Amino acid sequence: MEDPDAPLVERAQRGDRWAFEQLVERHQNRLFTLAARTLGSADEAADAVQEAFIRAWLGLPRFRGGSLFSTWLYRIGVNAAHDQRLKRRTEPLDETHEPADPRDSFQASELSSALQEALNQLDEDYRVAVVLYDVLGRSYAEIAELTEVAEGTVKSRIFRGRSRLAELLGTRTAEE
Amino acid sequence: MVAETHPHDIELFEYVEDELPPARRDEIAAHLATCAVCAEQVRRAAAGREALRETTLLELPEGRREEILRNLPAPKRYPGERRGFFSKQLLAGIAALLLVAALAAVLVKTGGNSGVESSAGGTAGGAAEATATSGEGGKAEDAHAAGLFAGGSPDEVAEDLQRKGFKASVQQDRVVVRGATKAQVREALADRGPGDVEVVVKNP
Repeated sequence: MEDPDAPLVERAQRGDRWAFEQLVERHQNRLFTLAARTLGSADEAADAVQEAFIRAWLGLPRFRGGSLFSTWLYRIGVNAAHDQRLKRRTEPLDETHEPADPRDSFQASELSSALQEALNQLDEDYRVAVVLYDVLGRSYAEIAELTEVAEGTVKSRIFRGRSRLAELLGTRTAEE
Repeated sequence: MVAETHPHDIELFEYVEDELPPARRDEIAAHLATCAVCAEQVRRAAAGREALRETTLLELPEGRREEILRNLPAPKRYPGERRGFFSKQLLAGIAALLLVAALAAVLVKTGGNSGVESSAGGTAGGAAEATATSGEGGKAEDAHAAGLFAGGSPDEVAEDLQRKGFKASVQQDRVVVRGATKAQVREALADRGPGDVEVVVKNP
């Protein structure tokens, strides 16, 4: 499969900062959505995205193009979000944080929605699978590659994740 | 009895996604008509899918994007770009100077003796031509007084500078560079040659 990012990736691999900035521009919102939906926090997601892009920039010379650049980048993003989650366990959350920028209020409301609260209760593997497939539209093959499991496992995780999500949403609706 | 024949999650998923071969799809449909457990799972999976697909893409806050770009480690110098250019320029300059000096020495010694002069003259002519070309570049720069000018379009010049690690942007057909000295920008643009694109250097 031809990688639409290949020309920019090749330039960025030679140290072309402008080319890498174009790649950031192209992928930042999807990577942020992935991190925000799997972490349930805009702030933590932005930290994870920043970390992911730094790792990608530093690791780019080692990227051999065996997969799509986006697959490679999402894999870094999933790992950065996972690390962010582990960090959360060791650092107290700043409960007083409010979005400073009014433009962030949309993200904040999205991330406090019933759907997000249900997503937060899913197992991480299920959450990553449904967000990548249903929200970001990635293929089974790509998800299998970046989460290092078989395609059948990806399908099973999406199925169970969706079912559990609907169950949680139904419970919440019934309670209201 | 029914429990022993429950299809696997993967097949139920493929049923929801309508990815099964027709014959298998009919078998699963028949099972779902009689198995409330699987039918409920399929109903939930379809509802979960709809809920997820209604979500929108979130936008990384603008300030964060700037922070990401600002905090990227310094780019590694890439071989064959600026360094290569300067090496070539330097070598060409040294070669030209040496040839001119050698020619002058020969002329002084021989008083314009023909044999050596004609042999060295051809080469020195080439060097003089190179010097003249670079002199023209200098004149073009002088003609534009204090400003820097480069060949190509404003976008090309800005992109070139960005690629070389400068903070350059196009503003009203001019290229504005921040956080660098004029000498650095002039050096970086030397390979573009003189042109009509004005480059304004603004130090912090």
